[in-house]
Amino acid sequence: MTAFMQVAGLDHRFGGLHALRDCSFTIEQGRITCLVGPNGAGKTTIFNVITGFLVPDEGSVAFRDRKLDGLRPQAIVRAGIARTFQNLRLFADLNALDNVMIGIAGQFGEEPVGAIFRPLHTSRAQRRRRQEALATLDHVGLADRAHDVVRNLSYGEQKLLTVARVLATGAELLLLDEPASGLSAGALDAVMALLRRLQSEGKTLLVVEHNTRVVQQIADDVLFLHQGHLMAQGTPERIIGDPALAEIYFGGAL
Amino acid sequence: MDFLYTYIVLAEIYVLLGLSTNLLVGIVGIFSVSQAAVFGVGAYIVAHFMMAADPLSFIPSLAIAAACCIALNILVTLPSLRVSGDYFVVTSFGIQLLATAVFINWTVGTGGANGLPGIPPPDIFGLPIETNQQYVLLCTAASVLGCLAFWLIMRAPFGRLLRAIREDETAVAAAGKNVLRAKVSAAALAGAFAGTAGGLYATFLSFIDPFSFDLDASILLLTMIVVGGARTLAGSIVGPFLLLALPQVLTLVDIPTTIAAAARQLIYGLLLIAFMLFRPQGLAGERL
Amino acid sequence: MLALQLLVTGLVTGCALGVVAISFSLVYATTKIFHVAHAGIYTLGGYLAWSLMTYRVPLALAFLLPVAACAVLGALMQSQLYARLERRRATHLVVLIASLGTLAVIQNIIAAVYTPNILQFPLNWSSRMVAFGPVRLNWTQLLTVAVSVAAYAGTMWFAHRTILGKRIRAVASNPMLADITRLQPQTVYVYVIAIASALVCLPGILVPLDLGLQPYNGVTPLLTATIAMIAGGVGSITGAFVLSVAIAVLQNLSLLVMPGEWSIGVTFFIFVIFMLFRPTGLFAAAR
Repeated sequence: MTAFMQVAGLDHRFGGLHALRDCSFTIEQGRITCLVGPNGAGKTTIFNVITGFLVPDEGSVAFRDRKLDGLRPQAIVRAGIARTFQNLRLFADLNALDNVMIGIAGQFGEEPVGAIFRPLHTSRAQRRRRQEALATLDHVGLADRAHDVVRNLSYGEQKLLTVARVLATGAELLLLDEPASGLSAGALDAVMALLRRLQSEGKTLLVVEHNTRVVQQIADDVLFLHQGHLMAQGTPERIIGDPALAEIYFGGAL
Repeated sequence: MDFLYTYIVLAEIYVLLGLSTNLLVGIVGIFSVSQAAVFGVGAYIVAHFMMAADPLSFIPSLAIAAACCIALNILVTLPSLRVSGDYFVVTSFGIQLLATAVFINWTVGTGGANGLPGIPPPDIFGLPIETNQQYVLLCTAASVLGCLAFWLIMRAPFGRLLRAIREDETAVAAAGKNVLRAKVSAAALAGAFAGTAGGLYATFLSFIDPFSFDLDASILLLTMIVVGGARTLAGSIVGPFLLLALPQVLTLVDIPTTIAAAARQLIYGLLLIAFMLFRPQGLAGERL
Repeated sequence: MLALQLLVTGLVTGCALGVVAISFSLVYATTKIFHVAHAGIYTLGGYLAWSLMTYRVPLALAFLLPVAACAVLGALMQSQLYARLERRRATHLVVLIASLGTLAVIQNIIAAVYTPNILQFPLNWSSRMVAFGPVRLNWTQLLTVAVSVAAYAGTMWFAHRTILGKRIRAVASNPMLADITRLQPQTVYVYVIAIASALVCLPGILVPLDLGLQPYNGVTPLLTATIAMIAGGVGSITGAFVLSVAIAVLQNLSLLVMPGEWSIGVTFFIFVIFMLFRPTGLFAAAR
């Protein structure tokens, strides 16, 4: 049996810092996998490698039996993996709808020749795409903020919008970098409900998360990363209940 | 009356150049002081083909010039996509100075510092353009088409993509878009605009010399965008019309002719500083 | 023989260029501002010295007063322009355009006051020749080498042996940390640009002493110096100086095979080669 996504033997150094050491794991389709570990364990580095923003010194990533090594970030999105960023990286001067529409693949008029010489076709195609994007916004609960500029949205709304943007790409595997951090209790519940809903719709999720309560509630599998190496893998109960890992986690965080 | 026609024709040519500069500086967000070089290449190419022993007519010459300027502008812009923004400043200055050196010293091709006189008037499919009114019509048509293209682009997905790139390239790549291709497309379009403007300029004045396409000319183009405003159609139109009126205003003030050029450039410099300090969005644009 | 003469002339030009490069490098490595207006300060220094010499001010003063004036102008530029833009969180592009505007203002004030025509210094000793075997140099060129090498040595000493120099290097390596540790980057920037402006005034006087003054003559040396700085590795004073000399020598030797009008092409070619093969420069510090 081949895995949905397989990460094998990743190794990477930033100058003197050994960020990833022979890191391997697999992700299974339709599940929510949480990636946990103390700060500096290499969680975001793994995201960067999988999504093509960082070429590792060694190791490879395969998705649906296809090697992703050497692909540019945009090609990896087309292959079906999309990510969010810890610091959101939304387009602050564009409105929510436009932020989502940037994610939609294969739009007519996305290069100058089509835009100039077939303007009517472009705007017809845009109207359809706009409906799609509105539906996506509605899905994450932001339908009423579609025409608001991002900088006027609350932090919680911005986090939801980053999820809407990756959804718009149509990717099957979503890599979410701390989707729940810094949220109020209400917003937290909304995000967790959204992640569950995405799972029920067939998406596969790999989530970096610090909050153990969130991990316990949403994760099917937990990957515990320490000093760039996969230290343990298992159900949330097993990983969070392990006193040795808790020692590393809280000791390392201090 | 002739004076008014000349003003309108030149302003419309500079609107095309303004659109070109705005695409690069305002939209792609790179610092360029070499757009006048591309403009000059367009002018010299059109002049060359229309004055050849076996001359081409205006439209084919213009098409060749536009194609060359597209290629040139892509070449000029490519380093900015690879190396960090600051190194591109060097590239941009270098290309402008190099182009000026070629225009001045390659006497066989460009007539050198004395310039190239006797460029024939344009014709549109056999219909000669000779009177000032005809020129105004031709340039109005060209600039309206240019503005229309710019407007269509900015409201299409391509425009949205360019705005997004200016804000955060990494996020655009993460959303599955090819940043490099979008930037090259914008640069190509900017090249086409500058090349067309060059052809219109050469045939309208029937004389070109290297000093119309030097660093000062590039600074003037930048000033037009800064004063007019970045990333908007209105900004690309307001800037050229205002700044080309400036020399006429200066003739009303009693400035000795020997320092008129310096006074003009001095004002451009002051405008650049003042707008950057107090109004980075220009008169009718968005924040740079 | 011609080759030898060109080689030596290249060394002389390179020394002067080296001072432009180290001064620009000081500003760029510390403030991260691509200080295009530096070319204006370079030009202004020469014109001020010319004015003082035509009014028969003693020679030492005619050198020192412009240096002081340039330092003050540089400090004003930082505190009145760049610092303001920084406070408004202006983008890099905006700062660059403002700097370019300042360059245009300085150059054209000069052109309006002194006319755009070439000016020669009213000195009779400056072009007197001295022969060293087959090579001939004039007094200006000898002075240029002496002053430039002294400026280079002085800058090295200053950067590594004085408290302000160390503070500048600390701010250059990590402005955010420096901000927290009360090294006051903004104050340091004022010093840096003042010192760099004083430095660039030296070649700004010495080069025109030999070749004459023109208001728009600052851009090409600055561009060449910037290329030397990049090729030498940003932040390396020695790299900037050595590469300036190397580029100037290459430029001069290229005169053997092609006319001088194309030397900007040679410089630019060197830049493209470095961008392609070693964008971090030869003397790049380990980061």
